[in-house]
Amino acid sequence: MRSKCLAIFIFLALTAILTTACGPAKDEVTQSTGEDPKVLPRKETLYFNGQQFGPVVGWNPYSTSNNNAMAIVLQDNSRVTMFETPYLYNMLDGKVYPLLAEGDYSWNDDRTILTFKIKEAAHWSDGTPVTAEDVAYTWAAHVRYNTPAGAANKDYIDTIEAADDRKVVIKAKRDREGKPVNPLIVASYVSTYYVIQKSWTERLEERAGGDTAKFLADTAEDAVYSGPYHRFFADDSKVILVRDDDYWGRDDSMWGRLPVPKYLAHTIFRDNAASAVAFKKGEVDVSQAFNPNIELLWLNDRLPISTYLPEPPYNIGTKMPTAFYNLNSYGLDQVAVRKAIAIAVDYPTVIANAVTNQSPTFDEVPRSLMNPTSTEQALYDHDAVKHLQWEGNDIDGARKLLDTVGIVDSDGDGWREFKGRKLSYTASCPSGWSDWQSAIEVVAAAGGKIGIEITTNYPEWSVYQTIVTKSDSPLPEGYDIFMMYTTGAGPAQPYTRIRNLLSSEWVGMAGNWNGNWGQYSNMEADTLLREIPGETDPGRLKEMYTELVKIYLTDVPSFTLMYRPEAFHAVNETIWTNFPHQNDGTDPPVPPLDCTDGWGIACLYNLTLVNP
Amino acid sequence: MKGYRKYFLNKLAWFFVTLVCAFILNFILPRLMPGDPVAAIVSRLAQGMSDATGVQAIYQQYADLFGTNRPIYEQFFIYVKNVVRSDFGFSFSQYPRTVADVIASSIWWTVFLQLPAILVGWLIGNFLGALAAYRRKGFDKVLLPVSIFASSLPAFGMAVLLLVVFALTLGWFPTSGGYGFDMIPALSWGFIWSVIVHYQLPFWSIVLITIGGQAIGMRSMAIYELNADYVKYSRFMGIKDRKILRYVFRNAMLPQVTGLALAIGTMVSGALVAEIIFNYPGLGSTILKAVLGQDYPLISAATLIITLMVLVTTFAIEILYGFIDPRVKAAQSEG
Repeated sequence: MRSKCLAIFIFLALTAILTTACGPAKDEVTQSTGEDPKVLPRKETLYFNGQQFGPVVGWNPYSTSNNNAMAIVLQDNSRVTMFETPYLYNMLDGKVYPLLAEGDYSWNDDRTILTFKIKEAAHWSDGTPVTAEDVAYTWAAHVRYNTPAGAANKDYIDTIEAADDRKVVIKAKRDREGKPVNPLIVASYVSTYYVIQKSWTERLEERAGGDTAKFLADTAEDAVYSGPYHRFFADDSKVILVRDDDYWGRDDSMWGRLPVPKYLAHTIFRDNAASAVAFKKGEVDVSQAFNPNIELLWLNDRLPISTYLPEPPYNIGTKMPTAFYNLNSYGLDQVAVRKAIAIAVDYPTVIANAVTNQSPTFDEVPRSLMNPTSTEQALYDHDAVKHLQWEGNDIDGARKLLDTVGIVDSDGDGWREFKGRKLSYTASCPSGWSDWQSAIEVVAAAGGKIGIEITTNYPEWSVYQTIVTKSDSPLPEGYDIFMMYTTGAGPAQPYTRIRNLLSSEWVGMAGNWNGNWGQYSNMEADTLLREIPGETDPGRLKEMYTELVKIYLTDVPSFTLMYRPEAFHAVNETIWTNFPHQNDGTDPPVPPLDCTDGWGIACLYNLTLVNP
Repeated sequence: MKGYRKYFLNKLAWFFVTLVCAFILNFILPRLMPGDPVAAIVSRLAQGMSDATGVQAIYQQYADLFGTNRPIYEQFFIYVKNVVRSDFGFSFSQYPRTVADVIASSIWWTVFLQLPAILVGWLIGNFLGALAAYRRKGFDKVLLPVSIFASSLPAFGMAVLLLVVFALTLGWFPTSGGYGFDMIPALSWGFIWSVIVHYQLPFWSIVLITIGGQAIGMRSMAIYELNADYVKYSRFMGIKDRKILRYVFRNAMLPQVTGLALAIGTMVSGALVAEIIFNYPGLGSTILKAVLGQDYPLISAATLIITLMVLVTTFAIEILYGFIDPRVKAAQSEG
């Protein structure tokens, strides 16, 4: 009996081990054996991480709720793998380059009408040509169904019409004086929003029966597209796009060839650690994940991993995670208190610890309203605002500033009071956003050093966002100082970013996803922000931007804690090489945007195999 | 048989009372969390929008669609009506996917990982515990500390240990996923083999911990039973050891069976740690995301499934107890 039981136990315990241990995980590099493979050929597949979280829920180019990061992302540098925009923005030189469009777009003299032509070669996946009528109908559908694109632009775009098969005419909305409301936003439409086929849209409308919710909720698996890739496979574990070998872009009027990888695949990881392990193992080629201390991967682990820049900050910062002051909190309506906290913060520690030096320092790129790209840095007069900038960690300066305005510790408890009330604040950011949490801890420490009590609080993002974006009432307790993001690089930048940071038009908005969450108001800034979109004189524009920087650095309604890249972009060159790197000789330069966004998609046409 | 019917009806009544209470709590509790799930959806849609009325219109559109702007009692009756028709509606966090689709796509991964792991761990653990109690000496001296070590190791510790040793250091097993990173699901030997290989580490990370806990429990119960008066009496009567052991293990097994039923009942909640560390598909991480994203319909549906499974398994065990152990039925029907 005993021996029988022992035998059963040993059998149970060892069966699974024996059946698998003798067959270690295979690392073979496979090549295509034919159509519709069950195993993706490694030498024809480019793997990604850090873009797709959770399963894909749709392929509807009208919706921004598809959670489909490989195919549909509308932003300043839109993702153009499956659907395409007329133009592509290049954040490295600040220009737009034609994609579906032919040549540059043109404005009329008063910038109320923008025109461009569609390329003759451009065609849809069903073989029919892309026409100006498609562009016009796309806009009409956006407006009719109040899609996010329609709602975002209808205050600025009046109509989009087809003058003929290929000529598109965009008419800007005018103000009372007949001037365009915002030509910057009109121009950015052509590199941000996809052109969607008219006849497919009509099919979609028929299915939806005029119901907006159904129109946007349609998973659109039959969508006709113009881009080089389309849906191949998607489940809860991965999403795969496959190249359309009839893609129109192989025409000499565009790329002149097909993109190199046949498949674009993204494994859906449940946490950063698993994602990082896969990247190190070479199961991921292009990583959009934040990899702390990334330099150790090539310095210590000797892996063929690299970033766009070989030295810190490794990538080009374009976004500016910012600490906002709630200007309704007691004492934070005082510029001296806001500035004292801001100048006391130890920024080198934030950059070294929170983002492991993957941000330019404020010595390298002094604080302003501009991101670190050379295009934006050239837009303001550095010398004119030098006296207003600060390096940080200036504890003595902060104490002196507070002493000067009479904000001192009068009761000897170690904390300063303003009009007899202790200055005590809560600094918040979303739970689990480790780089932000680390930064906000440094802010709290700075407060302690200058006699202002700052405690930290980390609510869940789902709660945090609903509170922070509710700008129609004062922020509740716990949100005295809080972190949010800014926009990055784009055709309407830095205007949009500055508007989001300073404009009082967001105050009073129930669902404010734009900015100025601390509810700052400055009439001078508002006036400048109204005038900038209509201004074309570069000299005057520089003056206006310099003035805005002065206002920002003087009033300190918020302060930037670090710079962050538009997208993290690290590559493992075990299989593929020739990714974008600084001074890689490409002209126009290909930006490090994971080979999928804006002009960054040019990367897919330059890739080569390490071992062909 | 009359006593048993009374016992059965009594249990059935409590089953329904518990189910109704749990059903109401499943609906109410997620909605008591602070925050607004529709705002989270609008955040995905409205980034880049500078038109206040446009944002508000989108918010209103989704609030109407999900019914979050209605009074909670009205939402509850709509929920009840839909559940009766097996319609859990749209998932907020994965809209426009339905809750049924979200659960269907991950529940089988969880069931096929959890059920065999729980059963194998339970069988091996109880067998080893009983063996240690019976044989004592060297075997017990080794098994007891090893079991205590295994059961006290947190689930993530065991998972990380297996990952580092067998996947990263020895390279015997893949580090993550339910199947190969370069594979597409298909009914082929290659895919099935890939699933088996990827199954091992998550499976054993659950089994090893289960074995430890079960072995300790079974060992203690068996030692207690082996010293019971009826065992001594049986020995005096000259009954063979093998027969005595059968009585002993049957009695020692009762609490272990309860533990097994509860484990099976809650298995649908997923092996969250294994899912996250081995990037294994399953319902655990889906439920976690639903909680963090305030996905009320998905939370309610998942907790309803868990509630039903726990209730059904405990109900089944209670009924079985009535047969296995007449003392239980007698005690219950007296009241």
